Amino acid sequence: MINVYVTGIGMISALGPDVATALNTLQQSRSGLGPIHHVTTRLQGRYVAGEVSFSDNELAMLAALPDAELTRTTLLGYLAAREAWQHAGLGPADTARTGLISASTVGGTGHAEHFYQDFLEARVTPAFIDTYDNADSTEFISRRLGIRDLVTTVNTACASSANAIVLGARLIQQGVLDRVVVGGTDALARFTLNGFNSLLLLDPEPCKPFDANRKGINLGEGAAYLVLEAEATARQRKAPLRARLSGYGLTNDAHHQTASSPTGYGLQLAMHQALRRAALPPEAIGYLNAHGTGTANNDLTEGQAIRAVFPDQAPPFSSTKPFTGHALGAAGGIEAVLSVLALNQGLIWPSLNFAEPIPDHGLVPVRTLRTVPNLHHVLSTSAAMGGSCCALLFSQP
Amino acid sequence: METSITATCAIRGRQIFLNGTLLFEAPEDTAADLSDFLIAGYRHFGVSYPKFFKMDVLSKLAFLTAELLLPKAGLQDRLRPADIGVVLTNRSSSLLTDVVHQQSIAEPASHFPSPAVFVYTLPNIAIGEISIRHQLTGENSLFVTESFEPAMLVPYVSQLLAEKSCQACLCGWLEAGLTGHEAFFYLVENHASPAPTPRPHRVPDVELLYSQPHYS
Repeated sequence: MINVYVTGIGMISALGPDVATALNTLQQSRSGLGPIHHVTTRLQGRYVAGEVSFSDNELAMLAALPDAELTRTTLLGYLAAREAWQHAGLGPADTARTGLISASTVGGTGHAEHFYQDFLEARVTPAFIDTYDNADSTEFISRRLGIRDLVTTVNTACASSANAIVLGARLIQQGVLDRVVVGGTDALARFTLNGFNSLLLLDPEPCKPFDANRKGINLGEGAAYLVLEAEATARQRKAPLRARLSGYGLTNDAHHQTASSPTGYGLQLAMHQALRRAALPPEAIGYLNAHGTGTANNDLTEGQAIRAVFPDQAPPFSSTKPFTGHALGAAGGIEAVLSVLALNQGLIWPSLNFAEPIPDHGLVPVRTLRTVPNLHHVLSTSAAMGGSCCALLFSQP
Repeated sequence: METSITATCAIRGRQIFLNGTLLFEAPEDTAADLSDFLIAGYRHFGVSYPKFFKMDVLSKLAFLTAELLLPKAGLQDRLRPADIGVVLTNRSSSLLTDVVHQQSIAEPASHFPSPAVFVYTLPNIAIGEISIRHQLTGENSLFVTESFEPAMLVPYVSQLLAEKSCQACLCGWLEAGLTGHEAFFYLVENHASPAPTPRPHRVPDVELLYSQPHYS
């Protein structure tokens, strides 16, 4: 089996416009959550969110594309993908047998919300219609990076970018590609804010994953990408090896569309599958970046899944969603980048806002930034509407 | 170890076929609305699953197709739930339901997003309904493509079976869009001995099964 290495990471989120800024913010244990500024919604002032602290114009300036009229989803995605590409030491000539798998759940919905009424009244087809499609951001990013060999978009709700990472790794392992940029991008939109609000899943205050008194999710936005390369390709060009994707698991919980099974059975199966693919025992996991959304159902059932997979002792674990918000289609990518960063820095990110364990499983997450000199294996989990569960296992290169 | 297609089910127009045989045809006057037609099919086959009525049309279409295919195939007697995968493709994603949700938040005066609608603004939810009903915990994917493309789907599923990510896979096309609907599901299985009616899992065979029966 071909080994798959992570050679570059890039991320823009509520923690900052790039990985270095995010690392700095994480090291100060400073949350990126705050009032909603950039989405015009009736929910403004009622909820906090993990908004990227730049307007669309500021993002366009950062991207050096001031006149391109790009959606926020595309701008976020391009900035993070460009950072990952550069971090891997790649240039315009490095596009042979290279792909881009990008996830998004809202695509250009934000633009559509803005212009749709005018469109209905004016009855002309304006340019924004073409940006509505989820794949529009992917197409733009691939054109800018010069990637042509395999370009596709994934939407599996909250597991989208984790699934994009697995699809990319498989394409390398099966010899279809030598290199693939994987991850996802999502901007905050009225569509998702109102949708999750209708499900009564939003916490007006900063979320408290794994706490007995948790009240729900804070939505977030952002983009994060990893450059994955086949071992031979990476070694040949003496690429920096940041981590190895040593295992993954994909399952369905087969219980309910919007709720996890009482034992988190699908997540259990996904974590077992990832460990089996990596040929590692549960005790090898040095840090678990949990899905930890802060909803009553998720944190209860995910905790039961952790108890079942790690019966002797749960590994140090945390949810980073109190830092970033839940960025939906970008969440799996953001958490994969944070997992690789944890491995590279020998740091475990704390679970902010935790005070009291959930009585049913009694799990206590890591509460303050922890230095771990020998962090070898980090597991990251995602779960989504429709029952999709995904586990990613990153190991020292 | 051999890999074969062991069963098919198709819902087209107002007709339902199992393994190529027409089993149900709704009278023309009851089939104008897709949801009504699928409910007529549900009643005709004596299915009992009240949650069916809460599903959006894409999920109703997926549910009914899988409902007619899976129990008869006896797959679950032979395999563990975690060994059965689901890989579907469609063209219009969840567009029919996206439109309904969008309309519910478009007008400030009648702003009323419904959780029962929002949940279905993702086509994977249809796979979720199948997984919940039949307790399938294997991996699943839904690919959005211009049309039914066996040349893409067959190698993908073959690889899943070859690497033992699953032992069997429910595959096919699940489309409900602004201009029409069509479901064509087939089962692919790894098995030790030859299947009773061997149908190799290859692109031309899937194309042939897809083209038969023809629309009448």
